[in-house]
Parts: sequence; C-alpha cells; structure tokens
Amino acid sequence: MKRIKSFFRYDNIGLLYILPAFAYMMFFVGYPIISNIVLSTQNVTVRNLVNGQKQFIGLDNYIAIFKDGVFIKAMGNTLTFTVACLVFQFLIGFVLALLFSKNFTFSKTVRGITMIPWMMPMTVTALMFKFMFSTDVGVINFILRTAGIIKENIEWLTTPDTAMIAVVVANIWIGIPFNTILISTGLTTIPQELYESAAVDGANAWQRLTRITLPLLRPTIESVLVLGFIYTFKVYDLVYVMTEGGPVNSTHLLSTYSYKLSFDMFQYSKGSSVANVLFLILLLVGMLYLKITMQGEED
Amino acid sequence: MDEKRITGKMNIVLCAISILVLVILLFPLFWTLITSLKTEKEIFQIPPTWYPHVLNTRSYAAQIETGDFNMFKSFFNSFMISSGAMLIAVVLAVPASYAIARYRFVGRKAMLLGFLVTQMLPVSVLLTPMFIMFRNMKMYNTWGAAILADATIGIPFSVLILKNYFASIPKALEEAAYIDGCTRMSAFLRILIPVAKPGVVVCAIFSFLYAWGDLAYGMTFILDQEKRPITAGIFNFMGQYGTKWSYLTAFAIVAIIPVTLIFIFMQKYIISGMTNGAVKG
Repeated sequence: MKRIKSFFRYDNIGLLYILPAFAYMMFFVGYPIISNIVLSTQNVTVRNLVNGQKQFIGLDNYIAIFKDGVFIKAMGNTLTFTVACLVFQFLIGFVLALLFSKNFTFSKTVRGITMIPWMMPMTVTALMFKFMFSTDVGVINFILRTAGIIKENIEWLTTPDTAMIAVVVANIWIGIPFNTILISTGLTTIPQELYESAAVDGANAWQRLTRITLPLLRPTIESVLVLGFIYTFKVYDLVYVMTEGGPVNSTHLLSTYSYKLSFDMFQYSKGSSVANVLFLILLLVGMLYLKITMQGEED
Repeated sequence: MDEKRITGKMNIVLCAISILVLVILLFPLFWTLITSLKTEKEIFQIPPTWYPHVLNTRSYAAQIETGDFNMFKSFFNSFMISSGAMLIAVVLAVPASYAIARYRFVGRKAMLLGFLVTQMLPVSVLLTPMFIMFRNMKMYNTWGAAILADATIGIPFSVLILKNYFASIPKALEEAAYIDGCTRMSAFLRILIPVAKPGVVVCAIFSFLYAWGDLAYGMTFILDQEKRPITAGIFNFMGQYGTKWSYLTAFAIVAIIPVTLIFIFMQKYIISGMTNGAVKG
C-alpha cells in the first residue's frame, strides 16, 4: 500500500488522469486493431462471423487480394485520387492563403467563410456533387455546354474515366479550406521585415515568393502535404456515396473496396486484409510525418 | 505576416477578387439551397433557373410529416448520437490532456504516440471488429454503438488539442491555488478547466462535428432506419429515390443546419481547432 502511494506521489499521478481515456481507446480501438489482424488470417465469412469455427489460414487472404485484379486497381485508384487531390487542393489553397494574407477589408471575413466546405458532412458534399455532375439535370454539364467547351452532355458518373474526375473535384472542394488555413498560419510566422528589406534591395514579387516565402514555409508545406496525404488516402464516405466504387470499379479506393468486401460480399477476412494494407501504408507515412514534426520538440 | 492595411484602389480590387472566390467556392451550397426550393418540374427545366420561379416548400414540410420523406427522426437520432459522443470525448479527454501537459509519468510518450496513431486509422480497420464486438455486447442496432464508436474519433483529437492549452497555462497559477488551500483535484476542476475553456469548447465542437458527419459507423452498426443518423438516412434515400432531387437537396440543407449554426456562432474556435489540431499533431 505504501509503495503504491509513493508511486503515485509525483508525476505518476498523471496516470490516474489519463487512465479513463487510455482504457477507452485500448478497448474500442486497440483491441479492434489486433482483432482485425487476427481476422485477416482467418477464413471468416457471413457463415462463421458471430459463432462458428474460424480457421487459421495464415497469409492466404493477403496472397489472394494481391492476385485480385480489383484490389490492384483500387490501389492504383487510391494513389491517383490522392495525388490528384493533393496537387490541386494545395495549389489552390496556397494561392488563397497568399490572397488572404494581404490585409484588405474583407480578408479575415472571407477567409473564415471559406472554411465551411471542410465542416460539412461528407455525405452531404457527395450528394451535392452527385447532383451537379448528373448527366441531364447537372449544372456542370450546363455550364460547360453554354461556355462551348462541350457539345454533348458528359455522363460524368457512369463513365469510368470521368467518374474519377468527379470524385476528385468533390474532394478538392473539401480539401481547399484545410490547405488555406494551415498555409495562412504558416505565413504569419514569416517576419514582415524580410519582405521590406528584400523590396529595398530590388527583389520583385516572384523573387520574394521563391526566395523568402517558399523556403521559410517549408516545414508548413511538409506537414500540410503529409497530413493531406493521410486524410485523402483514407477517404471513404465521399466516394462511397457518390459512386459506390463504380462504374466497373473505376473509382474503388482501398477503403471502399474493403467495405464492399466485408459488408456487401460478406467476405470479412478479405475485407480486413485490404483494410490492414491501407492502414500499414498510412502508418508508414504517418511515422514519416511524426519524424518531421517531433524533431527538436521535447514533447 | 502582419502586413499594413491596404487602402484605395488595391483594396477594392482585392475585395472584388475575394468575393469572386467566395462565389465560386460556395456555389455548390447555393445551388443545393436553390434546388431544394424548386418544384421537381422546375429542377428538370433546361436551361436551369437561377432562383426558384415557383417557391416549393413541400420538400421541407414533408420532413416533419409521417412517411418516407420524414427526416425529422433521423435528425434527432444524429443529434443524440453526436451529443453522446461529444460528452464522452470531452469528459475523457480533459483529464487525459491535462496529465500529458503537466506530468512526466511512466509511459507518457508511448500513450501520446498511441493517440497520434489513432488519428491515422482508416475507419475500415475498425468496422468489422467493432461490428462483432457490439453484437456480443448486445449493443448492435442501438444509438449506443454509434456513440461509443464516434467517440473514438473525438478523443484523440481532443487530447492532442487540449494538451497545448493546458501546457500554455503558467504553473504559477496552479501553485497559487495550492497555497490558497486547493487540493490537486479542486485546483484542476476550479482553476485549470475554466482557464482552458476555449480549448474545451474547440474539442466539444469538433467531437460533435466528427460524429455528425459520420456515415460508416451509423450505417454499419445500426440496422433500423428508425434509429439511424441523418447521413445514413440520406444515403439510404439516395439509393431508393436517386433522382428526387428536390427532397434530396432539402435533406442536405437540413443536415447542415447544425454545421451552419456552429459556424456562425463559433467561427473563431473552428479556425483555432483546425490549425492547432493539425500542425501540432
């Protein structure tokens, strides 16, 4: 008893404060992670999910999914989706952050309002874009037709190539605020005097951007991109609601394919294996991010 | 960049540009709102009308009547689920983040890392194990399952945000409280939490919003449409009446009411949450 008391006397009392949250997360997240790994080494389908003999089959599920054409396609799609979203949302976010860093009358207000897309439920965003991208009533087809860019209505969501474009556009819309706000915050850390003295030395706007802003913003840019990668790579709702992975698997991501395997085809073990591959990739990227941000930070 | 105020012509040009940006960015929302107030016939009209020529409020009225188009119940379900998840997240995260900010206890780094890693977790990893778990706990097909699952998104986020708030409170404040006769517990409850209140509000807002936006958990762990959150209701409805856009857009507008209210009244908290939550970790 005395030893227990002295253990908690100083810093270790913190354990008592953190215990409830930690136990909760261990129970509802830690344990499922482990059981998902176990599940991926078994042959669980709808027949033996709740009770029934589950057989250990080693890495067979992983071997099977890597031979599965749809999985390989989903892997490629996830990468295409993520890279396409990152490039555009970063560039647009960057330009907007530069715009809002100028101190004009509306700068703060307008920057605030542009955050709305990020807060919306993804299901709602998916619905809005599904409507705008629909073939006959879709406003996007109407605008493109009026502008003379297209002659015939495009069947955005039912043609494999264009369906990917549609989900990417919807996700960029969500990602722009996130990029804008983080880059804006990064910009506030650059001392104004640097720009003033550069201007005195005759540097033009382009030189100020490439010689001052970009180099000093590097840590921010790195974290925005890595975090954006993590968030985008695991997007699920948006694509599932807009296309359910179709047409002909052209928009299946690892996340949607995993869901489909588990809850549409009831091949739980296969679905778990796909989810674990997805998680492993995110974990590796995440570790990289932690390495970047934790450097020199004591906590 | 604390740039000096821009005035004159340049100011007008920049204001005009920013308004243009806003119009383009918010067009999807505007279009959804307009569509929800049109009649089915007007929606299919070509060229489309830019405002409802015949005002149709039927799509909203139907949501509180009985029948297929009633979303009122789903809205209420979402509200209860999100509030529950928010409550769990805040109650658990406040002491946990305080501990991380103040005490150097055994295993602190590992736990911090654990909270960080859960933020990278794709929802698909947890779905099947949680599904089995909730069935065994006899919680499948109840709000409780969605509440417990949704809280797992709010907790790590809140811990990571709040630890920065607690860390920024000077230690002297706490020591002064001890001198005045506070115990550790009462100093925490009566001095520190009130000072960290903005942080607590940020956590509450985000935990609520994460749960409000969730589709996967609500759809997977709750079977009855009667008990499902509004996101699952909308998804379900899209499957059944895919082209009833007047109703669908009205559901969308109703589903973002809380988001809009939170945005209008608590904007500064949101921006602080987005920046702190992401950059620091």
